Amino acid sequence: MTSQRVFIAGAGIVSPIGCGIAATAAALAGGIGALRPLTLFATPNPPLPVGQVGCGLDDPELPRTHQLARIAADQAMAGCPAAPDLIVVGTTTAGMHTTERLLNAGTLDPQAYRRHAAGSVAEDLAARYGCSGPVLTVSTACSSGAVAIKIALEMLRARAARRALVGGADSLCRLTYYGFNCLQLIDPQGARPLDRERRGMSVAEGAGMLLLTADGEPERALAEVLGAGLSCDAYHPAAPHPEGDGAYAAMAAALADSGVSAAAIDYINLHGTGTPDNDRAEARAVARLFDARTPVSSIKGATGHSLAAAGAIEAVVAAICIREGLVPANTGLRLPDPEISLAPATEPRRMRVNKVLSNSFGFGGNNAAVVIGSPLARERPALAPVAPLRVLAGACVTGAGHTEETLARLRAGEPCKGVIPLEELSRHQPARLVRRLKFMPRLAMALADEAQRRSGASHPPSAVFFGTGWGALSETHGFLNSLFETGDRFPSPTDFVGSVHNAPAGQVAIGCGATGANVTLTGEDEAFEQALLTAACLGRGAGGSLLVLGADEHHPVLSGLFDRSVALDSTAAAGGAALLLSAAAADPDPGVAVFPAFTAPAAGRTDAIAELVGRLGGAERIHARFGVILAGIPAAHRRAGEAQLEAFRSACGLTLPVVDYRRWVGEFASASAVATFLAVGFAAEGAVPAALCDGRPASFPGKGCLVIGFGKTLTAVEVRP
Amino acid sequence: MEQLIEELKKKIIGILDLANLPSTQLEVDGPLVGGTLGLDSIDVLEMVIMVEKDYGLRIDNRELGEKVFASLRTLAVYLFENSPKLKR
Repeated sequence: MTSQRVFIAGAGIVSPIGCGIAATAAALAGGIGALRPLTLFATPNPPLPVGQVGCGLDDPELPRTHQLARIAADQAMAGCPAAPDLIVVGTTTAGMHTTERLLNAGTLDPQAYRRHAAGSVAEDLAARYGCSGPVLTVSTACSSGAVAIKIALEMLRARAARRALVGGADSLCRLTYYGFNCLQLIDPQGARPLDRERRGMSVAEGAGMLLLTADGEPERALAEVLGAGLSCDAYHPAAPHPEGDGAYAAMAAALADSGVSAAAIDYINLHGTGTPDNDRAEARAVARLFDARTPVSSIKGATGHSLAAAGAIEAVVAAICIREGLVPANTGLRLPDPEISLAPATEPRRMRVNKVLSNSFGFGGNNAAVVIGSPLARERPALAPVAPLRVLAGACVTGAGHTEETLARLRAGEPCKGVIPLEELSRHQPARLVRRLKFMPRLAMALADEAQRRSGASHPPSAVFFGTGWGALSETHGFLNSLFETGDRFPSPTDFVGSVHNAPAGQVAIGCGATGANVTLTGEDEAFEQALLTAACLGRGAGGSLLVLGADEHHPVLSGLFDRSVALDSTAAAGGAALLLSAAAADPDPGVAVFPAFTAPAAGRTDAIAELVGRLGGAERIHARFGVILAGIPAAHRRAGEAQLEAFRSACGLTLPVVDYRRWVGEFASASAVATFLAVGFAAEGAVPAALCDGRPASFPGKGCLVIGFGKTLTAVEVRP
Repeated sequence: MEQLIEELKKKIIGILDLANLPSTQLEVDGPLVGGTLGLDSIDVLEMVIMVEKDYGLRIDNRELGEKVFASLRTLAVYLFENSPKLKR
């Protein structure tokens, strides 16, 4: 069986217009709108219209986003006894609604913040359904849910998974409510997408989840995911490209990927937030690609804009439209905008719908389009399995400084823990360019620049994959602080735009003109490995090279509250690394290659180590191919991690030298990015400085390194000469 | 008026992190947005918050914003004529 077709075997949805497929279908058919003044928290000014979910979010222990995700995921998983072997969740707010309350109350107990992390939503679902494979978290702002679908689609096509639970979830919180308001992107009358008088969006919440399968057509498939496309504007942190170039590229890529012509699309589910700029740019892009009579609508005048959930919610809506034969109304539209030459549906319309294109665009110019259709009677050509990526160049930043300073320090057997000063971090960037930027975007830009310089600037990246455990904490703290200090009245617009997890990757794309896929993954200690895996799956179609980064900052207040490993180390540490990679299959140049071999939850599983050894080809292959283990053992999981490392070494029946790299670079979530960069150098030289492995000389000519992450998730990256 | 212009200059350099730029000379009549400093829409929003917080005036549409933030002088004149917090 070599089918590369991906079917929707189950779906779940919770949004302001209803909970469940049936309720949502009825609300869409009835043209029901659900924008009402916010009641979730008190506001100093009259509350603005939002899309607030009304049903059953009453668990006092679980953040709102997690509850929404569970509701939709339970629906999607209903009737599926088998555990998923892949989970991909798009989210931006995760535990933020709870975190805001805790921070404002001055709570300093890290335990209270244990579900703050973006990655904790997917992790909660993984534990709930016993997921045995990768658990990924995507944070590309308002396109997250759709980008998550693209990642799952490619992993299923590559047979890296068979059953994927994928979707998006976000809850209302102060950060997004006040954030979009201070950008003047909120319509005080409620969102009126495409309307001449439109003034903005309405922030909302919700979740959409899909159970996707590549095991052949299930008996009751809702629909088929025919394809998806990603792009990046590489234009501005918060404003869309005025001609919709990025939107056009994403839609064109989605059509090409699905093998469907523009003329075959029966309905376009627009991103259609209701902001003047978004709707105009999107309409221009749609008009360039489609017949002006193609039925289109945005449902965000009914549901509001649920940010990271929107793409997934609207993918479920697309499946509903196909099943019901329905084009939903463009709720809120009264006066058509003469600048928009599209044919929006003013009322719900019954018609045959076979194929739907659904758009989702986000801050950072992160665009995604998904094509969903009734199952097509044709096979897709088989995709090769995920392959190693050749390293063109790399760079790192640690407490010691940039790449050369870091390498010199390690060669001398001295640790690199610490935080590079801001001026030093940006020493190669013009002051004008970094003026408004805090630590994380500067770090990402410095890494991207140096990696490109070290490659001789001969391989400009077309796509960017960024892993960060915690995102831009300085901006998040700055925004919330200005909010709390002014009684929720005067937050900083700059900090809001910068607080979005994918803002650093957006800056990198602008800096190097990378208009291909731009994906940010936020999976705590394994965020970099998630980014590398995503790059390996998505990068195959990319012309040009791929830039894969991992980076985290140290924030004096938030890092210790969110990351238990940081709290356990007295030395503050920050840093990251970038690898410029080639995905070309027939690359003639020799060199070191990296391969994301394994990632799976370890908590509560006794067979995880054995599975890891098996995935690496067994003890014999490990012995033949690798000369050193770079072990990542986060301080918060020190005991369990050391036991896992011991179990791994004894399962391999050999005593490979070990570099316990967090002891050298410090405790920060993306320390594994630095380790992987260092491993590339070690593999090229066939040796590790003796000081790094307890003084044992480690020379392994012709062999490579294994970068293994231990703790609650097991990850392995092969670095091979 | 000149005093208000000086006050605004200081505030803008502060909130927009312009102090480290080689040319921190904010011209009184030159274009505030775009121009040599490269200020953009996010900087304008930052100034909108400052105007509301410190001068009690809300600028919530693009047309008015474009007029008010045309230059340092147009901003000062607008505040001078409209702000309830400035004694005339």
